[in-house]
Amino acid sequence: MKKMMMLLMASVLFLAACSGSDSADGGGGSEQDSNKVTIWAWDPNFNIAALNMAKEMYEKENPDVEIEIVENAQADIVQKLNTGLSSGTSKGLPSIVLIEDYRAQSFLQAYPDAFHDMSDSFNVDDFAEYKIAPTSFDGKQYGLPFDSGVTGLYVRTDYLEEAGYTLEDLQGIDWNEYIEIGKKVKEATGKDMITLDPNDLGLIRLMIQTAGAWYMEEDGVTPALAGNEALKQAFEAYKGMMDADIVKPNSDWSQFVANFNSGDVASVPTGNWITPSVKAEASQSGKWAVAPIPKLSVEGAVNASNLGGSSWYVLNGDSSEAAADFLGKTFGSNADLYQQLVTEIGAIGTYKPASGGEAYEKADEFFGGQKIISDFAGWTEEIQGLNYGMHTYAIEDIMIVEMQNYLNGKSIDDVLNDAQAQAEAQLK
Amino acid sequence: MSSKTKTATIGSSSSKKFGMNSKMKSTLIGWSFVMIAVIMICTFYFYPMVQALILSFQSGTGTNLEFVGLDNYKRLLTDSTFLTAVKNTFIYLIVQVPVMIILALFLSVLLNDRTLKWKGLYRTAMFLPAVTSLVAYSVIFKYLFANDGLVNTMLLKFSLVPDAINWLADPFWAKVTIILAITWRWTGYNMIFYLSALQNVDQSIYEAAKMDGASAFQQFFKITIPMLKPIILFTSITSTIGTLQLFDEVMNITKGGPGNATTSISQYIYNLSFKYTPDFGYAATVSYFIVILIVIFSVIQFKVAGDRND
Repeated sequence: MKKMMMLLMASVLFLAACSGSDSADGGGGSEQDSNKVTIWAWDPNFNIAALNMAKEMYEKENPDVEIEIVENAQADIVQKLNTGLSSGTSKGLPSIVLIEDYRAQSFLQAYPDAFHDMSDSFNVDDFAEYKIAPTSFDGKQYGLPFDSGVTGLYVRTDYLEEAGYTLEDLQGIDWNEYIEIGKKVKEATGKDMITLDPNDLGLIRLMIQTAGAWYMEEDGVTPALAGNEALKQAFEAYKGMMDADIVKPNSDWSQFVANFNSGDVASVPTGNWITPSVKAEASQSGKWAVAPIPKLSVEGAVNASNLGGSSWYVLNGDSSEAAADFLGKTFGSNADLYQQLVTEIGAIGTYKPASGGEAYEKADEFFGGQKIISDFAGWTEEIQGLNYGMHTYAIEDIMIVEMQNYLNGKSIDDVLNDAQAQAEAQLK
Repeated sequence: MSSKTKTATIGSSSSKKFGMNSKMKSTLIGWSFVMIAVIMICTFYFYPMVQALILSFQSGTGTNLEFVGLDNYKRLLTDSTFLTAVKNTFIYLIVQVPVMIILALFLSVLLNDRTLKWKGLYRTAMFLPAVTSLVAYSVIFKYLFANDGLVNTMLLKFSLVPDAINWLADPFWAKVTIILAITWRWTGYNMIFYLSALQNVDQSIYEAAKMDGASAFQQFFKITIPMLKPIILFTSITSTIGTLQLFDEVMNITKGGPGNATTSISQYIYNLSFKYTPDFGYAATVSYFIVILIVIFSVIQFKVAGDRND
């Protein structure tokens, strides 16, 4: 019996030892001493490259702070943050994380105690106004605005010319005029005007923001779909493109990029972050230009919009002070850094004091000598600020289904009313 | 006699003090052997299950959860996205599982032919899909079935269809694509079970049947099927469970689209937890719905196919 007890005790001890060492291992990564700052971000050519520049600048003056940059896919970051934060521990989570503006409110409101208040770390007035609403909550500034998602209409000037248009004809147009031009272009060149993924309504989001409208009311939680004039027009324009047969479908990012790199589509209305992908096809140099984004014909609509874009957030933890200091001294106030970002990776920030330097005035031969950075910076200032609220992607999934119904002949009012009812049921 | 001495040694002198009889002793020893496994299973299986059940009665964003009683379960019944996901999953189930089982049976009987040459090669070829990674094969299927992908190119070149089929963007064809993909991936896996069972069937039964003049069809339906019944039951239950948990293929091939024409229940759970503002409570409710479904289906399948066999 004694032996058996011994055996039992031994096995219990063994188990305890196992679990003990496990947690010690798991905790290894999270032993945040206050001078080690870990950062998660996605996209090596853009965000990670920007971080590396910032790191280099900061470490020159603060050699005692160790900065570790970890690259993760955006979907993985969202998933890891959700699992980490909902378990109520900051173990294994970074000190700084990049979050897309559309998702920011969802995180800030779902995990109210997890984020570090950045109000004192930088001057909010130095940044583009439209970035502030998505990155703040309850009167406190949590996010440090980073890249601009300012949009432009990337067009093939050679196709336009064949159809008898010039870049001048694309200034200040609305989406109906865009469709008309698209029809002519297709007639003259046989090329589709635009490429769309039916599972991604980025174009709709971009369209309604030209009118300062969104899926949500100002409060960010009440769905505003039924009777939303901007949304209605956006849907009609979307269907108009489909009916005019000027759309080449794609089903993911690589097909999307392939469709314009191969010269199969004449225009790409999207965020400025597409520039590196457009320029990747060097043989098309000189054939592209960027026009202002078309607008909806709603009162107050402007030829400027936003698509995507993200901001930096600091998570509460041992090193959050060091992390806030890093952000404040680099992305929060360093104009030189932003000049360098523009010249080296073409990243357009939303830091206003930096938007006038010579890097912004450079002509780009790929775009026929157009000063695209300076154009984008100008449009950035016109973007209408919006509270994206916390349910952008939940509503978008409803809209994707209703868009299919609409394309199949359901009336627009029914479509929006049904979407409203569904959204209200789902988001209580 | 020898066994008695062994027990005596293990029990040692202490057994007298506690007045334990040998039956209790062996029970205790038995328990101590399984104890580690029991503790592990309780901690890592049952504890999370109970927690998930409790979670399914809560709702809220992220960590702001509060108890809402049966509200989540009521919400399930009126949630049109959820109902569509259930409908899709059932379509996959009803179409795909029987097709796959029949195909696997057919192939295994063919490959069990003793006169067949290159048997090993064929078996390997059939089984190979089952060892490929779910994500890798899904991505390949996505490209095969793209608008200008290999499948469309072939169909057009052979003039089998007038226009390219919009495999991934048409609600009907997208479902077909998913079903084709799962069938390709899992048929070989099920076939292996049938093959191994077939090899245990005594050849003399077939010889006797031939002597009595049974045709190949009669042999298949009157001998092969009844002999394989327990395996067919097993594979149909595991396939049903697998289909109810379908996630990787849908996520990677169509992302649930167009609209939500191909969304599966598991994908909806993922969306609720990670794509939208997280509502883990409601996601847990949906998960429990799958548990209930699986239990119901397994019971039905046992009742339909199991009892006469026992």
